[in-house]
Amino acid sequence: MAALLRGLRAGRALRGLSSVVAAPTATNPQCGSLRRGFRCAGLRLQDESKSDKPPSSTSSSTTYHEHYQARSAEQDTVASASDPAADQSTDPNTSYQDQSGEQDEEYETEEQLQARILTAALEFVPLHGWSMEAIAAGAESLGLSSASTGMFEKGSGDLVLHFIAQCNAQLTEILAEQHNQVQLGQAEPKKTADFIRDAVETRLRMYIPYIETWPQAMSLLLLPHNIPDSLKHLSTLMDDIWYYAGDRSTDMNWYTKRAALTGIYNTTELVMIQDSSPDYQDTWAFLDNRIQDVVNMATTAKQVQSTGEAVVQGLMGAAVTLKNLTGLNQRR
Amino acid sequence: MVHRMLRVDHAGEYGANRIYAGQMAVLGRSKTGPFIQEMWDQEKKHLEKFNEILAENRVRPTALLPFWNIAGFVLGASSALLGKEGAMACTVAVEESITEHYNSQIRTLMEKDPERYTELLQVIKEFRDDEMEHHDTGLAHDAENVPGYWLLKNAIQLGCKAAIYVSQRI
Repeated sequence: MAALLRGLRAGRALRGLSSVVAAPTATNPQCGSLRRGFRCAGLRLQDESKSDKPPSSTSSSTTYHEHYQARSAEQDTVASASDPAADQSTDPNTSYQDQSGEQDEEYETEEQLQARILTAALEFVPLHGWSMEAIAAGAESLGLSSASTGMFEKGSGDLVLHFIAQCNAQLTEILAEQHNQVQLGQAEPKKTADFIRDAVETRLRMYIPYIETWPQAMSLLLLPHNIPDSLKHLSTLMDDIWYYAGDRSTDMNWYTKRAALTGIYNTTELVMIQDSSPDYQDTWAFLDNRIQDVVNMATTAKQVQSTGEAVVQGLMGAAVTLKNLTGLNQRR
Repeated sequence: MVHRMLRVDHAGEYGANRIYAGQMAVLGRSKTGPFIQEMWDQEKKHLEKFNEILAENRVRPTALLPFWNIAGFVLGASSALLGKEGAMACTVAVEESITEHYNSQIRTLMEKDPERYTELLQVIKEFRDDEMEHHDTGLAHDAENVPGYWLLKNAIQLGCKAAIYVSQRI
């Protein structure tokens, strides 16, 4: 078994070499692809300008055992898509490849490839909407075949989820940077309400380039097979915002705060997609009001609690007084 | 995996706090009051420590906290209503469960990666030793004299196992 794999690896290395040699002579790679899994069939168009780049990268040298590795990598697709900053090349560690140390810098995992295609596809969203056409256009703009859209099982939901993960990562970076600034004393810490307001505004502004098609994206996220992932992204986003806002609670407040923020965020998003005021002023005003509502509710809750405590104390005092008056408190 | 462990540990210390609060509510003014108070104070320190750890590691606390709040207090109060022996029997049962639970966590962490978790291991070991002390205190104060000791002890331990299972996940 191990010998078979070594043979395969050697074969792949040779194929890689031969494709490097073959590229300048414009050999049709399609015949080579027949030997590889269907997954790789549509992956490389011959492109003169690309022949200078070492073609052993990306997809052209995928063999069937890499296909298995890619399968396990796909389980991590969402995880890595939601954290593009993570070290993607070490994720599919169950591969035999790892043991031979054959993962050089030019090797690309399937998730990285998917991420590249989806990022490229975002440019075509204003034109084609959140659809497979956009993904196909994105793939073609990278010099890959539009048949590579077959990689995306959830279809256009994958594109929306990728975009959301990207936005969340950007926001986390911004918040972490602000956090650092405050730690270093270079910036003043904001009040919680202001912090939340700014964080939500920053995050929603990332939708502005795609605002025409955003209702379509939101409806895609509501499809049953997309719901788990979109909820995961949403809950991570809420947790991140509260963490950087300074929340360190370890009781039910953890849940109530995040639930409140989710409500604020979702309603503001809905307001935004039908807002036609200049620079979305109405949306930000709505956001301010919602945050103010939550703040008021929290203040009222505190007041109710302290009033309740005062009332209880008053009642206890009254009871003791009564006992004194009726002589029940005397010890004989 | 560590998040689950921290979540259930936090829930456990929170529950233990509420149990002692229940016991104090009934037996606070009796002779055993000071002993229960002392054990309660130690549990308070444990809870504080876990609050810190949870915040540092961004662990979600269990959603069942309000339930453990009430259930713990009711358990403590009702066992105390059986008298001092009842309260001590409850303490023995709970502390035994917790000790066993901490021991299995220590084993898991040691198997996984002792160097990475040294601080956490130290904390858990220290808390386990405290809980064993509480267990011994309970035995020393006539826990076994309560009528139906075996039944009571096993019922409480079964409840603890269920609580641990559920708090890891929810």
